[in-house]
Amino acid sequence: MKNNHISHNLDVIFVLAQKDFKLRYRNSVLGFLWSLLNPLAYMILLTVVFSLLLRVNVPNFAAWVLIGLLIWRFFSLGTSQGLFSIVNNPSLVTKVYLPRYLIVLSNNLANLFSALLEFIIFIPLLTYLGVTPTVFFFFLPVIIALEFLLVFGLSLSLAPLNVKYRDFFQLWEVALQLGFFLSPVAYDSQLIPSRFRFAYSLNPVTGLIESARGIFLFQRLPSTFDLALVSVVVVILLGVGVLVFSSLENRLAEEI
Amino acid sequence: MSRVLEIRDVWKRFRIPHERRTTILDHLASAASVLGGTTRYQYEEFWALKELNLALDQNQSLGIIGPNGSGKSTLLKLVANIMRPDKGEVLTHGMLVPVLELGIGFHRDLTVKENAIVYGVLMGIARSEMRKRIDPILEFSGLARFEDALLKNLSSGMQVRLAFSIAVETDADIFLIDEALAVGDEAFKAKCLERFREFKRQNKSIVLVSHDMDLVNAFCENSLYLKNGETRAYGPSNEITRQYVEASKRSEDASL
Repeated sequence: MKNNHISHNLDVIFVLAQKDFKLRYRNSVLGFLWSLLNPLAYMILLTVVFSLLLRVNVPNFAAWVLIGLLIWRFFSLGTSQGLFSIVNNPSLVTKVYLPRYLIVLSNNLANLFSALLEFIIFIPLLTYLGVTPTVFFFFLPVIIALEFLLVFGLSLSLAPLNVKYRDFFQLWEVALQLGFFLSPVAYDSQLIPSRFRFAYSLNPVTGLIESARGIFLFQRLPSTFDLALVSVVVVILLGVGVLVFSSLENRLAEEI
Repeated sequence: MSRVLEIRDVWKRFRIPHERRTTILDHLASAASVLGGTTRYQYEEFWALKELNLALDQNQSLGIIGPNGSGKSTLLKLVANIMRPDKGEVLTHGMLVPVLELGIGFHRDLTVKENAIVYGVLMGIARSEMRKRIDPILEFSGLARFEDALLKNLSSGMQVRLAFSIAVETDADIFLIDEALAVGDEAFKAKCLERFREFKRQNKSIVLVSHDMDLVNAFCENSLYLKNGETRAYGPSNEITRQYVEASKRSEDASL
């Protein structure tokens, strides 16, 4: 029976994630291409502004900024869609019994899949921009996996909070906007004065972006310190997520 | 004879806030006024179910009747584990399939076949099994030639037929049905009733919430008559439905 539950839960995760993924690209002619257009447009815009106009001194700025954008994109899309995963599916909560975290998890998995596809599709562009493919590329799944756990941990808190407080998404939108500038997407983290450096690197997205740039641009493995710091923050956020979720889960059916 | 369902001294309470607070601002404003001593945190407690006891054996079926707001649907949700009781316990044995709403998780932009698989898995059928059974299901629903059509191009009656055809394919030991039969045309209704007779022959249990007394009498040996969350009467369906119909007539007369 127990075994049965696990395989059924896996089936539920699979069909819900597949459904989210299909729907994301079904309603438009260009489908998946749209999701490539957004990071491309930002890459060009930021390259023009920072590299050409402001003459920021980062070699291979376009590739450098694209990597930051892709990591940021998974974080921001993953959490903001995870936040709506329950509110947008009330009947999965009120009309049938599923362990509710499956709804959040499957939404996050659909985003993970999109993020992986985006990275894979952009690898030829990165090499065109002068990035040499090396074995270090194979470290990307580790970074993405860590980021996935980060997105899942946050979504576990955000999704039920957004049921209880219907305007919660507005707060998260602002937080994401701030987060974009508190992460080294468009600028080099070396610009941060050293006394703020530690507080700054508590933002887990920082470590993820720098690690990804390391493996793509500088042929170096992420530093143990970076990875350890990100992992600690991720574990804490997962723990908080589990606590928030389990304390709000039982009343979801009444409050949605 | 084995028990499939047991309800022991179950109580369920709802809180109805006097002013509905759904945003963070609402919560802050009311917290401020509570702290400031101008108002108290006000909500009405409302017992949706009180002191309910019930047992159901395999191959028995139960009708639940009563006026609107008497707690019928709440009871089904407690049995389905969608809500938890505040006191007492609900024990179920065997596979339980709630048909509280047909077409949970349906999405208009997915095809008939895609929707069927998602719904089947949500209702508890394994994904591998669902792929095997999809053709007979579409056959039964009479929608086989629309399998690749988008759901939005089907009439609402056809959508209900699709959902129903999947729900009856589950290997449930207990079906929880909330007025699901009230939809669909006469021919399809007859087909549904035939399926239910078959379930009875297969020793499956049905818990049926309905306002259709003939249906309750036809399928359920015993019935529970709820009023204001309390057990008004319990016993053989013929007897109980007669009491309910008479009580309804009296209250109608009284209000005239």
